[in-house]
Amino acid sequence: MKFRLNAGQRQGLLGSAMLSLLILLIVGAYSLWGETYQARILYATFVNILVVVGLQVFTGNSNLTGFSHAAFMGIAAYAAAISVTPVAMKAIALPDAPWGLNAFELSPIVSALIAFGITGVLGLLTGLIMARLTGVGVTIVSIAILVIVHSIFLHRTDIFKGNQAFFGIPKIFDLSWITALVILAIFLARLFRESSFGLQLRACADDEVGARAMGIDIYRTRLIGWIISTLFFATAGIAYAFFLGTISARPFYFNYVFLTIAMLILGGLRSVTGAVFGTLLITIGLEVVRWLETGPTLVGVKLPEMLGLSGLLLGVVIVGVMAFLPKGIMGNREIEELFRRKPKA
Amino acid sequence: MDYVIQQALNALSFGAEYALIALGLAIVFSIMGLVNFAHGEVIAFGGYSMVMISTVLTGNPWFLMIGVLVATVLASLTLERVAFRTIRGADLTTGLLTAFGVSIILQNLFLLLGSPRPIPATQFIFLDQTLTIGAIRISSLQIYEAITTVVAIGLLLTFLRKTTLGMAMRAAALDFEMVRLCGVRANRVIAGAFAISGLLAGLAAIFIMARRGSVDPHMGFNPVLTAFVACVIGGFGSLPGAVLGGFLLGITEVAVLVLLPQEYGGLAQAVVFTLVALVLIWRPDGILSPAQEKGDKV
Amino acid sequence: MLQIKSLKVFHGPIEAVHGIDISVREGQCVTLLGPNGAGKTSTLSAITGTVRATGSIRLQDEDIGRLPIEERCKRGIAISPEGRRVFATLSVRDNLIMGGATRRDKASLTDEIEEWFSQFPVLGERREQPAGTLSGGEQQMLAIVRALLSKPRILLLDEPSLGLAPQITARIFRIIKELKAAGTTILLVEQNAGAALEVSDYVYVLNNGLVSRHGDVAEFGDGAVLINELTGVQQ
Repeated sequence: MKFRLNAGQRQGLLGSAMLSLLILLIVGAYSLWGETYQARILYATFVNILVVVGLQVFTGNSNLTGFSHAAFMGIAAYAAAISVTPVAMKAIALPDAPWGLNAFELSPIVSALIAFGITGVLGLLTGLIMARLTGVGVTIVSIAILVIVHSIFLHRTDIFKGNQAFFGIPKIFDLSWITALVILAIFLARLFRESSFGLQLRACADDEVGARAMGIDIYRTRLIGWIISTLFFATAGIAYAFFLGTISARPFYFNYVFLTIAMLILGGLRSVTGAVFGTLLITIGLEVVRWLETGPTLVGVKLPEMLGLSGLLLGVVIVGVMAFLPKGIMGNREIEELFRRKPKA
Repeated sequence: MDYVIQQALNALSFGAEYALIALGLAIVFSIMGLVNFAHGEVIAFGGYSMVMISTVLTGNPWFLMIGVLVATVLASLTLERVAFRTIRGADLTTGLLTAFGVSIILQNLFLLLGSPRPIPATQFIFLDQTLTIGAIRISSLQIYEAITTVVAIGLLLTFLRKTTLGMAMRAAALDFEMVRLCGVRANRVIAGAFAISGLLAGLAAIFIMARRGSVDPHMGFNPVLTAFVACVIGGFGSLPGAVLGGFLLGITEVAVLVLLPQEYGGLAQAVVFTLVALVLIWRPDGILSPAQEKGDKV
Repeated sequence: MLQIKSLKVFHGPIEAVHGIDISVREGQCVTLLGPNGAGKTSTLSAITGTVRATGSIRLQDEDIGRLPIEERCKRGIAISPEGRRVFATLSVRDNLIMGGATRRDKASLTDEIEEWFSQFPVLGERREQPAGTLSGGEQQMLAIVRALLSKPRILLLDEPSLGLAPQITARIFRIIKELKAAGTTILLVEQNAGAALEVSDYVYVLNNGLVSRHGDVAEFGDGAVLINELTGVQQ
């Protein structure tokens, strides 16, 4: 075999398998007892896992907080949607699209590859900048990317429909597809974390000067981490478009960025397990809160309608984790390390 | 020519507003290294306090202005006490995310306790009148805004130069621990920074309310995002940098609006942010920030 | 005046000082000598409260070991820290005002600052200049005066000769001598053993976080012994 796995990666395979099992258990539980409307929630959760695991790849290992993932996800979603939607549908959805964008349709695979390619190239171009910046610079430029992409989405309504729905995208993926993608993502992210690149990124996060002195090419390492995480976001974007049938610019902005970052830091951004756990926990929490928001009747008491409760909870989670649990639930640990009897010295 | 003067005034007043908000961010950052994104919600709180005071007490605009300023100062101090004290001394990312978290909490509290829709509060609109001087038509609000900003900066400078607390704040930006070794209470310096920041937010709130005449939960977010950019351009933590960045941004924004064809108006923000990215690639620490050595012995 | 018992100092998980006793009597000048990394600065930091430490630190029979940094300064502890740490962009005068920040008698503070300016004309001439433009020796004077302006009961001096030319070092030690003559209680940390011995009454030698030797300055008459001890090549 061309790729030899190192010891950390072999252990990573075990951990990834355990996480995959968890994912499969959730899917299994759904297929046994779940109701149809929950399929959508489950699908959204899995898309979130793709994004948060992708965040873990760059932000988690390098400890540089990026805010642009929603933008890359949006780019991939629109690219895939525009390519795959049938011409007849686009005549209604995008009547004024320039450059013949509404005059072609491609197979789902080709569309996904195009979306993947476009996002990847943009990831490379932005990565060339990102890799040179440090600390708050990364955050600021990533916010800039987010704002720029969003204003282009809003501005070019002829291509992106802005805040209105771009509809008529064929439904290509189902739950089994996304389950496979999530499991693949978990394995890849874990293998990356334990790879020499992942180790180097984490070393730079701990001590940049020291890592440089050891001969680590920070620039190249960050660039690779950035591009790979962009590809995770692309996958999430494609999966999003291929399931929902309609997309709009609104979800690809700050709210989603905060949601996913809250998931990452709650779980603990240094571990893939943390990313998965954080996503699941916040999703469950938010579902409960969303239900409360509608003003349900609880033990005979009709609760008032409380708009904004879910957002409130999200903020509280972020502030609370930062103040009391800065390393998140998992800290530096991965799932298989939880089952070890005693940590080795 | 008249058109040029008019646009210059526009740039000046945009810039003044950004500078006010950017100063509020920079003064907190310079002392405790916190990018306080919740500053925007302090501004929004100013708007809500206006609604509350005018329904409960009085609609007198002058009284309301004082009320707004008091409310924003108190809000800012409360945030420091409740949210930011626990993360004092934490790294930049932790601070940034906490501030974002606080900002989300406040926005949703406004949503929960107020309304998702804009609530009208028009008491300050009288500030915004169109004056005609010769062939030039300008808004009185722009003039007030520019003057207030200049006065506020002047007062702030005097405070920082002449009072012991002001000196302690300047010193704390350089070496906080040494200031404490001189016997100045850390809480006092930080509370001072937040109080000033709140006051500046209050001024900004008054002008924003005078222009919009209504308050909604998210109204502070975009101005602070822009002010943040202004700080970045000027060099984070540098007070002159924040002012410079604010005015530069005002000029850029107006220039983009004037120079780009009408239909590209929606892209003004995109252009501004592209410029920011370019500035950061050129000078990663901002224009007015001295280059920092990494790995110095601390 | 200052009584330290079984003091341990920690930098994160690392214990830098492993339980030492030090006492300074009123009007004394006590010196901590020792090589790099012996724990001298850590000990001073424990007294000012900027590092985590256990054990007892008593200033005139009050335990100050749990107080925050600011309160210790108000109780009468002032430091001219390692590296001087003057406020570089503040003027010389403002630096001194910061030194007296805890004082309520602002008028007499202003007078005192003027007195210091006449005593050290190099500072007086540059009172409006940013402190960062001063030379190393001038910055050291500034740091010492800044510490004195809080009217401390005990003055801590951390390596005042660090990085200074020999003549300037001599100048600084003359100042220390004058301060002592005026009755100031001083705890001095130095690597320049010869100069330090001249001004001290009592000496502690620190090695690897422990007091390896202490006694009246007279007992340290033989400089060679001390130098051996400092460089760690004894026995």
